[in-house]
Amino acid sequence: MVDELSFSYEVGNLMYASHGEPITNCLQCGTCSGTCPAVEFMDHTPRQIIGMIRADLKDEVMASNTYWTCASCYYCTVRCPAEIDIADMMYALKRYSMWKGQFQEGLIGPDFSEAFVKMIVNSGRSFEPLLAATYLPKFSARDIIQEGLTATGLVLSGKMPLLPKKIKGLKKFQQMVRRIIPIGEPS
Amino acid sequence: MTERIGVYICHCGTNIAGVVNVADVSKWAGEKLADQGVVISRDYKFMCSSLGQELIQKDIKEQKLTRVVVAACSPHLHEKTFRNACKGAGLNPYLCELVSIREQDSWVHTDKAAATAKAKAIVSGGVARVIHQEALEPLLVPIHPDTLVVGGGIAGIQAALEIADAGFRVYLVEREPSIGGHMAQFDKTFPTLDCSACILTPKMVDVGNHPNITLLTWSEVQKVDGYVGNFAVTIKKKPRYIKTEDCTGCGICWEKCPKKVLDNVFEAGMGNRKAVYVPFPQAVPKYPVIDDVNCTYYLKGTCKACEKFCPTNAIDFNQKAEEITVQVGNIILATGYDLFDARRIPQYGYGRLANVFTNLEFERICNAAGPTGGNIVLRDGKTAPKTVGIVHCVGSRDKNYNAYCSAICCMQSLKFAHLVRERTGAEVYNFYIDIRTPSKGYEEFYQRLLEEGTRFVRGKVAEVTNVARIPEEEGKLIIQVEDTLIGKQRRIPVDMVILSSGMQARHDSKDVAKLFGISCSADAWYIERHPKLDPVATMTDGVYIAGCAQGPKDIPASVVQGAAAAARILGKIQQKEIALEPVRATINQDQCSGCRICNNLCPFNAILFHEDKMVSEVNPALCQGCGTCVAACPAGAISGTGFSNEQILSQIDGLLLLNISKTAVPVEQ
Amino acid sequence: MKQYAYYPGCSLESLGKGYHVSTMKVAEALGVELKEIEDWNCCGATAYFPVDELLAYTLTARNLAKAEKTGLDFVAPCSACYKNAYFTNSYLQKDADLAEHINYALEADNLHVNGTSKVRHLIEVFINDVGLEEIKNKVSNPLKGLRVAPYYGCQILRPRKDHEDVENPQYFENLLSTLGAEPVDYSTKTRCCGGSLIITNRRAALDMVRILLQDAINHNADVIATTCPMCDVNLEVYQAQVNREFGTQYSIPVMYFTQLMGMALGFAPGHLGIGKQQVSGASMLAIAQNTK
Repeated sequence: MVDELSFSYEVGNLMYASHGEPITNCLQCGTCSGTCPAVEFMDHTPRQIIGMIRADLKDEVMASNTYWTCASCYYCTVRCPAEIDIADMMYALKRYSMWKGQFQEGLIGPDFSEAFVKMIVNSGRSFEPLLAATYLPKFSARDIIQEGLTATGLVLSGKMPLLPKKIKGLKKFQQMVRRIIPIGEPS
Repeated sequence: MTERIGVYICHCGTNIAGVVNVADVSKWAGEKLADQGVVISRDYKFMCSSLGQELIQKDIKEQKLTRVVVAACSPHLHEKTFRNACKGAGLNPYLCELVSIREQDSWVHTDKAAATAKAKAIVSGGVARVIHQEALEPLLVPIHPDTLVVGGGIAGIQAALEIADAGFRVYLVEREPSIGGHMAQFDKTFPTLDCSACILTPKMVDVGNHPNITLLTWSEVQKVDGYVGNFAVTIKKKPRYIKTEDCTGCGICWEKCPKKVLDNVFEAGMGNRKAVYVPFPQAVPKYPVIDDVNCTYYLKGTCKACEKFCPTNAIDFNQKAEEITVQVGNIILATGYDLFDARRIPQYGYGRLANVFTNLEFERICNAAGPTGGNIVLRDGKTAPKTVGIVHCVGSRDKNYNAYCSAICCMQSLKFAHLVRERTGAEVYNFYIDIRTPSKGYEEFYQRLLEEGTRFVRGKVAEVTNVARIPEEEGKLIIQVEDTLIGKQRRIPVDMVILSSGMQARHDSKDVAKLFGISCSADAWYIERHPKLDPVATMTDGVYIAGCAQGPKDIPASVVQGAAAAARILGKIQQKEIALEPVRATINQDQCSGCRICNNLCPFNAILFHEDKMVSEVNPALCQGCGTCVAACPAGAISGTGFSNEQILSQIDGLLLLNISKTAVPVEQ
Repeated sequence: MKQYAYYPGCSLESLGKGYHVSTMKVAEALGVELKEIEDWNCCGATAYFPVDELLAYTLTARNLAKAEKTGLDFVAPCSACYKNAYFTNSYLQKDADLAEHINYALEADNLHVNGTSKVRHLIEVFINDVGLEEIKNKVSNPLKGLRVAPYYGCQILRPRKDHEDVENPQYFENLLSTLGAEPVDYSTKTRCCGGSLIITNRRAALDMVRILLQDAINHNADVIATTCPMCDVNLEVYQAQVNREFGTQYSIPVMYFTQLMGMALGFAPGHLGIGKQQVSGASMLAIAQNTK
């Protein structure tokens, strides 16, 4: 009996709803990484990540910034000759990372996603200014000022909501959410 | 009168005996099936060995056996062995039945007690069936000594020469104006770097001159009737508009012809030909054809320059197509391959970016008789490239296009790398996933390319683009790829890109297969009888396949398959007649209502309908005994010799142990 | 009047207001009635999948269920909402297990989804349902001489593989030609704008935006047309930041395709949300209005 599931097996499980082929089919051809528009900003290429998963190098994969740098543009998915849904795999790694609380230091993605999820659960709609709290603290002073300028411009042209909106059927909506995962408990 | 049945249980070493208690089964058969006719029941270690066979033969003679049941491995393996053993002892081989207690029992079960009980049931079934089997004689069919070879590429040429050299007549049908196939388009062949035309044309000339080969180019097969040894093939000879008995092949007609046409076939769209043309100078036969779609005379009624200048008056604009029917005993399909259309991969830029070429286009560039006189230049016809990128696996090994590997592209890409280096001194990049160099001299060829300084980048090319991001990329084609061996995305600017497009089955391979009564795989290649042990025969007796029509392969392999198919046919011709398995369907014409449901269901077109008597009849030579018609007949009028309803139903009763007058077999604990 | 169940998505009420305003005007002019789905919720965009896949599908399924009740096609103007809806819908049809889980949750909101809606993107409704012929007839102010770079982006095309030409689609160009404009042929039209990386990895997204802007400018585009509010924001709102980051001086207008359609159909730019952008559309207006 296997005591602990291997990392590659766990990742495969997380991709349960993926409609592509399993990552074990990967030829390591490199089409995904050759296509990826964000690869310059990743410390490992998508192909390397698949190789590392198959080698069960969990900590190295989790410590990489690759899957949090994925923009889910799906270019890799449509070009992969083995028909693996690579963007979906990146999402699976993000989920694993959130679940285990394990990710590279300084990344904004995890906090942003968490805040976004909570925001929707609390109101049913997204509200940009609330999200700013997740990423501004990680920005440099210069970037914060730039963001402030951009935001002001948006407010002045009426494109930035100043008050959050809530959907009408919020209560039932929250009950619906709780049937999936127990978040948004009524306080 | 009951039959006298001998039952033989094989141990097969421990394959069967390790799970099934063979001694018990043997004892049981001898006792419980005695009233069915079993007079002797034995078990032995290896029934298929000569000693095992001699056991059976001895019993047939001494015990006067009339039936034999052997319980051993699958009939696929040793049915013939035991049938021959019986034949040797004077018993009709079709009175011997082999039942499988290995593949169907000991190899698939672990519960020994249950497996033993199952073995008993299987043996019982075999005994019940064999009682109803009849002595059958194999069908003898005469073999016509002529052969039809369809396809005049290297495989077809090889096959035709082998049969013709052995003294038998061959009809070689080719749909293009000349034989030669794709090999005639290449410049050099790997790994020897022989000039392709130089090694091909001597064979082509042999074919053209051979007294035993009837060359029918610019022709296509229309209809195939008959069966192995006795085919009637109707061939349409398209009109050349040239009287071949008068034409000398002097070439004045195409020299004088004013109409230029883009040559999409031989020149791969890289050059022109005339409306009256031979596809290439060494064409066999030497007679040109007139392209009546583009010829000015057929379009407007004017010109006729060729007719004016022909010194032997060989032009005949009114020539009609001719249909001939030939009788042949065997057929070889060597119809070759089509190239994968690289336009299906837009991100590689073929068709959009000028200096992206396919492998076939590049072969024509390299060829000294090609559109650029053998100079490796860009589309403008004059600039030599300083850097060339060669892309492997275009359309192959890709589930989005063709999942299979096209077998020759790696070698072809290496060959291109060498030719580019040799003739232009340009920097060459090869972009690959794996380097596949399996055959003799191939790996050494790869080593040579490494020594020549070819830059190998392991990575499947993601994009070929002309959008420059830095000044060094301006005016170039940029290949964007991950260099997987260093784990970085690279953008490599080149002047010329060569795509190694994969091989595909001919676009009409499914129709051709249907015409000849064979099948195609999902990828549309013709299907061989057995992928390992019988790659040139098909499930249809008398029809063979050779060359790339059976799947991607290189020239040596095509030659080998052509020769192999020829050898098989020569063997059949030598025998003058062949014996066909008598396991066939027969229609009881008294019961046949003439509904004709079976006619169209037969995958081998083996059922004829007699209009006068309004009944169907099975042609035993074409019938393969598949059983489809037997199942489909609503009147139950069709039965199979060798698999009659009686035999099958009895076997089922036997399996259920209904033929035993006692209660259920006690399972030993 | 063709009717559709309209799912605006969160952005159209804030950052993409121009898209919403122009969509309404264009729809009206073309005889398309977009009935907003009652009390819709955020689809989760790309931020939900990193947390919980099932919840992500459920959010979209709630909106699909509401659309199903109306029996009308589900239309989304935002490519991310469209992609989520399209795939949730198609998975609901194919995966009974997933459908069961989702419906169990939807039950709490008195809803049930079958996956029977047809999910459409706004641009494709105009092109296929209204038809280019009909649009051409209604164009009163052809955008002659205006070079438009059609920016498809990612999620309107991918990961669908079952439709025409994922690598080199032409339908947006055809629409622009119908409006009298001159579509620009540039190869990065399907390259990602960075999407939510603008928040989570600013540097990466700005670089991706820069490549797109540079390519459009290299091909002498007067304006870039978008089909998604996320793309539009990245290309337009953050253009100034791209300039600061890379020392470039881009100032190319970015418009929603409905804004261009609206102009071609004769509406005043002010009514289409034009003029409320970070990058001035003045240069484009100068060309577009210099017709007749």
